Amino acid sequence: MQSVSSMTSMDHFWLIIFCAIVAFIPRFFPLLFFTKRQIPEWFNEWMRFVPVSLFTALVVKSVFVDSKYNIMTSGNLGLIISSILVGIVAYRTRSMTLSVVIGLGAVMIFVLVLHI
Amino acid sequence: MKKNEPNWLAVLRTVMPLGLSYIPIGLACGVLLHAAGFNHLLTALISVLVFSGGAQFLIASMLTINAPMTTIILMMFFLELRYALLGSSLSRYLKGQPLPFIFAFAFSMNDENYAVNYLKFATDKHWKPTQALLVEHYSLLFWTVSNIIGSLIGSALTINLSVVDFALTALFIYMAVMQTKSRLTILVCALSGVLTIFFLVLMKSTLGLVVATLIASLTGYFIERHLLARKPESHLLYKVHDPTSQTAMEESDK
Repeated sequence: MQSVSSMTSMDHFWLIIFCAIVAFIPRFFPLLFFTKRQIPEWFNEWMRFVPVSLFTALVVKSVFVDSKYNIMTSGNLGLIISSILVGIVAYRTRSMTLSVVIGLGAVMIFVLVLHI
Repeated sequence: MKKNEPNWLAVLRTVMPLGLSYIPIGLACGVLLHAAGFNHLLTALISVLVFSGGAQFLIASMLTINAPMTTIILMMFFLELRYALLGSSLSRYLKGQPLPFIFAFAFSMNDENYAVNYLKFATDKHWKPTQALLVEHYSLLFWTVSNIIGSLIGSALTINLSVVDFALTALFIYMAVMQTKSRLTILVCALSGVLTIFFLVLMKSTLGLVVATLIASLTGYFIERHLLARKPESHLLYKVHDPTSQTAMEESDK
């Protein structure tokens, strides 16, 4: 296999094409299948719990798990405090923009200024 | 929503918070891809074809650590598997749509515009599939333009990526909070969090996310079914208080 040093723009192009195919398959076929068929009631009831579980999973991954899949035991206090802050802001204001802006501000203060 | 407002403006208003949040994330992603050796055209191409913040961050970081192409594509496959769940959960709102529509909708669906659309479909009875598709295309436009500008800025600007990365996390926290309707949902969130750490560390791949999501959501479903059948007065089924009572208003509005 080629490494980045020998990867040309043509390699990158094919990488994008393959990634696009791999990304498209799970987006398309389940959607197609369930829009053509009657969806059982239990499936709808189950699916109501999917988004909230998935979003929590993505948040927990970025706050508590590092890129090598180990639990972060230090250096993420700023992220934890910021996350709680965003949760409070989201709950009180229901505003997406405020949540993101205050979250970014909090992380800048905690991580860049206070280094926690 | 205001009366007499043209459709494109009403949809743009809905997608605006997401579009604005995409600007810092997209800029950072463009800078990262540029550092990984992508030219501006390729960055534009990947933003349109792959259109996923998490995936593009992953590809950029894998390229910088010299990962082979097959490994990157395999990682992508596991990362993108979660879209199967997203597509399934939106499908009931898109019943009866023609194949080209489903194709276009699936092509530009990602975590963020899915959340915007899911929320709209769940709270607004007049929300139409064509408006949902327009949400996707607006977010795609914001995302691609931000990526290209990020790529142009390139190495001229130094951005602390762990900070910019948090924009995505904040977005997911907001979405999780907006989805929390009953006390049972909070329990499901806690379970999902614990399972995520357990399976990610155990499996050493993003497939852990899929497993944790499946188990947590199924557990929530079975607990709810059990409680509705046996203990309908259970405290777990209590609604979570909404301080702005915005969603309640939207629902009664119709």
